[in-house]
Amino acid sequence: MSARLSASHAAFLGIVLAITGFILWSALSASTSLNNLIVVAPAALLLGVLALCIVVTVLRSPDADPAPAGALGDLLLLAGFGIFCYALTHVGFDVATFVFVWAGIVMSGGRSLWVPPLYAAIFSLALVKGFGSLFPYPMLTLVL
Amino acid sequence: MLDQFALSQAFGLLFSSFDPWIWVIPGLLIGLVFGSIPGLQISMAMAVFLPVTFGMDFLQAMLFLTAIFTGGAYGGGVTAILMNIPGSSSSIATAFDGYPMARQGKHNEALGLGLAASVVGSFIGYILLLLLIGPMAALVLKIGPMEMVVVVLWGLTLIATLNDGNVAKGLFAGFLGLLLSQIGMSTTGIMRTTVGNPHLLDGIPAVPAMIGIFAASELLRLRGSSYLVTDEAQRDISLRKILAGVAETFRYPAVLLRGSLIGAGIGAIPGVGSSVANLVSYGEARRTSRTPEAFGKGAPEGVIAAESANSSSEGGSMTALLALGIPGGAATAVLLAAFSFHNIIGGPSFIRNQTDVVYSIILGNLGQVLLLAVVGLLMLRVLGMVVRVPLAYLVPSVLAMCAWGGYGITGTIAGPLTVAAFALLGWLMRRNAYPVAATVIGLLLGRMMEGELVRTLQISNNQPMTYLLERPIALVLAIAMLAVLVGAPSLKALRARKARRAGQ
Repeated sequence: MSARLSASHAAFLGIVLAITGFILWSALSASTSLNNLIVVAPAALLLGVLALCIVVTVLRSPDADPAPAGALGDLLLLAGFGIFCYALTHVGFDVATFVFVWAGIVMSGGRSLWVPPLYAAIFSLALVKGFGSLFPYPMLTLVL
Repeated sequence: MLDQFALSQAFGLLFSSFDPWIWVIPGLLIGLVFGSIPGLQISMAMAVFLPVTFGMDFLQAMLFLTAIFTGGAYGGGVTAILMNIPGSSSSIATAFDGYPMARQGKHNEALGLGLAASVVGSFIGYILLLLLIGPMAALVLKIGPMEMVVVVLWGLTLIATLNDGNVAKGLFAGFLGLLLSQIGMSTTGIMRTTVGNPHLLDGIPAVPAMIGIFAASELLRLRGSSYLVTDEAQRDISLRKILAGVAETFRYPAVLLRGSLIGAGIGAIPGVGSSVANLVSYGEARRTSRTPEAFGKGAPEGVIAAESANSSSEGGSMTALLALGIPGGAATAVLLAAFSFHNIIGGPSFIRNQTDVVYSIILGNLGQVLLLAVVGLLMLRVLGMVVRVPLAYLVPSVLAMCAWGGYGITGTIAGPLTVAAFALLGWLMRRNAYPVAATVIGLLLGRMMEGELVRTLQISNNQPMTYLLERPIALVLAIAMLAVLVGAPSLKALRARKARRAGQ
């Protein structure tokens, strides 16, 4: 037991096992008939066994579980993306897209002061007037 | 097999004037654009442009709509190759090897391989449809849930082969997808894991989940790089290299033919179609390859197998529509709507009484496939320019389009939020070397698997094995699957052992 699980690996396995437990509990609570559990039960059981195998393999491995760098930047962009997805139907597709694309360019290394906002504005306009016009659903916009 | 008189009439209908062909090139272009933008689906394009066909005659309308279908099937592969974003579920396997090729600076060759495999696959699919529409229709009617279970199982077996380094991680990812597919109302109407959220009644929307786990997570990983292709000298869009890719396709005739036949066969089964066909074909190409270790790292056979199968499945999916009047999927459902606009009902009487029209639709599609080769070559020069866009601009732009695509599919906040949640899941999986493709396969096929299993149990009175013996097609498919999965590797191992012994 010379190595330990990286934080992101432990988080992933923890999230999956929590989801697995919840889905299994929910399915069992709904009905214990074979028709209801035919995929859920074997899949949940195998996920548990496989998670155990993976953890044991990692812990018994002489090499440490590799932890790639750059997690903070990725997580920031991911959090921004989550907020953007929520803001689409709450703030407006146009403004949310403009702010996200501008911030995203800056976070991804865009250095110019005026090119990112200009690009974000043109891109948002093109999306709203092009992509958006093809949607068969109503689309909330704040400015355009 | 072929009605010669009807065939000559079909040629007359198609070539006596230019009218049937006027809308083919615009249709191909629309399909290419819709197919290559994540979230814009081919069926959506066909539905949007359906009203345009009101003023056309029936043949013109069919050729226009099927041109969108043909262009879209290839368009999905373009983004799978260039950005690891499958435009639809039918292009998942294209990304497995197409994207690694693009990252190695072989994007031109990969696009050429995809185009040639698509053209040949579609061509074979429609030739088979022309020759076998009668017998295939009879066969489709004999396909029941037991046969579907075997076909879906075949598709699922690909999960085990996706992560050579660690099979447990591949299986874990696959079973996670299977489990996630069980959220929502079950086949028998039981509510599971909906947490009171009406958006989850129909389960997790598969396409936004696929966009999130594939595309958004990959884009996050690209964030630190400067361009998709690091080497500046290889960032060019070269027609010569695309044509070299086209030529290379024909160095793998067995992969091309097998992929096309698998696609046409599976595509003919209503409700299964191209999303399973490309996975089964990819899995078979990998299993039978002399260099299976090259798959997933930029093997040309992988791109050929996936693209030939998803394109030939288009011809297969037309079988049920033309011969039985049953739409096999969303795109053929729109075609069926076009049928009804023109007071035409698909089915045995349509084939019997209007054989010339049926033949002209199939021959028109063969012509379209050849036009796709030309239009595709011209468009690839434009679409390929994505490798020249700095990633600082490309990453947030495509991420935004992914979220928009999620909304375009569901029409609610559930779409973009699914994209975001699966982007996080995909990011965690990629950081820890889990194959995200296995989760997508499980998610796509899990619900289908449950439905068919439940139906099989009900029909067989909980005796599925006894029932299997009464179903010759299912039995043949099951034996073929076992022979391919167990027999072929055992034979290979036996030969290797014999060779080692002979060498000693």
